Amino acid sequence: MTDLQILNDYIRGEIGYQGELYPDLDLLEKQILDSFNVVQWAMFIQDRFGVQLEAEDLVRDNLCSFSRVIALIDVKRALGLTGQPQPN
Amino acid sequence: MLSRSIPQFLCDMAERMPDKVAVVCKTRSVTFSQLHQEALATAQCLRETGIAPGDRVGICMEKTLDQISVILGVLFANAVVVPILPRLKQPNVRHIIENSGMVALVTDSDRMNEVLDFADMSRLIVGHGTLDRDWPNLPYMRQFIRPQMFFDRISNDNAAIIYSSGSTGRPKGILISHRNLADGTDIVADYLSTNENDRICCVLSFNFDYGLNQIWQTIRKGATLYLHNLALPNDLFALLAAEKITALPVMPVIITKMFDRQLKLATKAHDFSSLRYVCSTGGRLSDGMLNDLKTTFPAAKIYSMFGLTEAFRSTYLEPSQINSHPTSIGKAIPECQVFVMDEKGEECPPNVVGELVHRGATVTKGYWQDPESTAKVFRSHPRFPGETLVFSGDKARRDDEGYLYFVARGDEMIKTKGFRVSPTEVEAEVVRHPEIVDAVAFAVPNISVGEDVACAYTTIARQPIPEHILKQYLKAHLPSHMVPAFLIHFEGFPITGNAGKLDRKTIKQTAFERLGLDQAAVATSSVNA
Repeated sequence: MTDLQILNDYIRGEIGYQGELYPDLDLLEKQILDSFNVVQWAMFIQDRFGVQLEAEDLVRDNLCSFSRVIALIDVKRALGLTGQPQPN
Repeated sequence: MLSRSIPQFLCDMAERMPDKVAVVCKTRSVTFSQLHQEALATAQCLRETGIAPGDRVGICMEKTLDQISVILGVLFANAVVVPILPRLKQPNVRHIIENSGMVALVTDSDRMNEVLDFADMSRLIVGHGTLDRDWPNLPYMRQFIRPQMFFDRISNDNAAIIYSSGSTGRPKGILISHRNLADGTDIVADYLSTNENDRICCVLSFNFDYGLNQIWQTIRKGATLYLHNLALPNDLFALLAAEKITALPVMPVIITKMFDRQLKLATKAHDFSSLRYVCSTGGRLSDGMLNDLKTTFPAAKIYSMFGLTEAFRSTYLEPSQINSHPTSIGKAIPECQVFVMDEKGEECPPNVVGELVHRGATVTKGYWQDPESTAKVFRSHPRFPGETLVFSGDKARRDDEGYLYFVARGDEMIKTKGFRVSPTEVEAEVVRHPEIVDAVAFAVPNISVGEDVACAYTTIARQPIPEHILKQYLKAHLPSHMVPAFLIHFEGFPITGNAGKLDRKTIKQTAFERLGLDQAAVATSSVNA
């Protein structure tokens, strides 16, 4: 499964959003994510991809769309900053 | 001469400081002069679509600068603002449209689908978003219209109807005059010392009085309002520092989100020394919340406030008293008095629980077209002949120094083993547990003792705490009759609309289902209460 599919599945399965999804869709602006479930979204990304999200990573610009999240994960991987995936 | 009103305040400020920035949002900002012109243009557009003086105009919009223009435009059009929470359930929207006799409903183009079913009841107008051929679009129309000043209301005229989601029954519309808004603005500006150097960060929604008051504060004192939709707290912290925000009005739910323990927070990376105050209303501030605020914003004063929409705001606690009286809601705001009264209308002695009664400038006009409910809450008192007071139904007490304490909403007192237990006091103790984020206590019927105390709670880790461990902890901290017989873990609590308060009714219902109690038991319990 690609990173994109993983993120897509989460929004479909956990958030229950059935509308159109594409990589640059702003999930916060479209209110698919809100101030409550965006925290769960961040936790999911951290656990599922085994990356440590620091305070400076945990900002809207990094988490608002699939493409931004994938870019963030790629940077983290390139820096070799991945930890062990944590048990959920 | 214009009457004392929000439109008058804006006219004054547009003249006094035309080029000062009034509102900043992500995509654009406006000066007072521009905001004034935009409000006048919006009023003219509304008039051309057929809005007449006194008409009720619904506003169901996300927080944007366009929403502010619509709110002000409706006031300048001599019409009445009726906020509707986005994503409100359809039967409630229908009720508000019918009950208020709404002639038009302004919404976002993105939100049209949510309100399309009501097109036969109320004229639909787009207040923000893209143009299409089906609906009038205010931002588009404004480009071609000449702003005109025709506001002519007197202070006693209706300015807004705010629907409150009461704990039972249909939402009731609270009727607010121009004078109420003007007085509420000046009273709050007085005790918060709002001034033209203030940069207010508005994370609140404009669908209720607390959020709207941030617009009025800005207009009245020439401050600058920064609109922010809180999602990730680090974005808010960055904004506070970058814009040198001086004022941060919040609610307990927002504080919980700001200091979510699951996230790494950038609180240490910023300089918040510009922040003059944080104020909060809409629920109890726990020790943990106070601690987070004090640690993160050491230079800021903390104002704990209390009110109900029927009288906008009743009390605030002087920031200097927050350490010595952390659970107090303080004393009456300027121009108002707050009493604790027994059933005969006599003032209760210190430390005796009675009904919170509010007297003064912010008493609203009553419930819209509901004389029966109005007569119950908006009443006279022999001590103040010819005057209307608000009998809140809420339970409160006063200490020996005169500081007030909120005890419970009228129907939420728990009667157990011959004691009357305040849910607020149980909750205050439960949230002292280091793992617990929030708590909601309520009654569960039990024939042998009257009612049992039950408490729903959420934790940092979103995992339940083993019941025997939590009970042991509570037994060490609470008198035995106050220790909850039932502890129900929730992953998260539902919030009422975007008014930002815990949805106690739904929390209680869900807890009852989880405890295997049926709705009949819930109904019996509330009848007996």
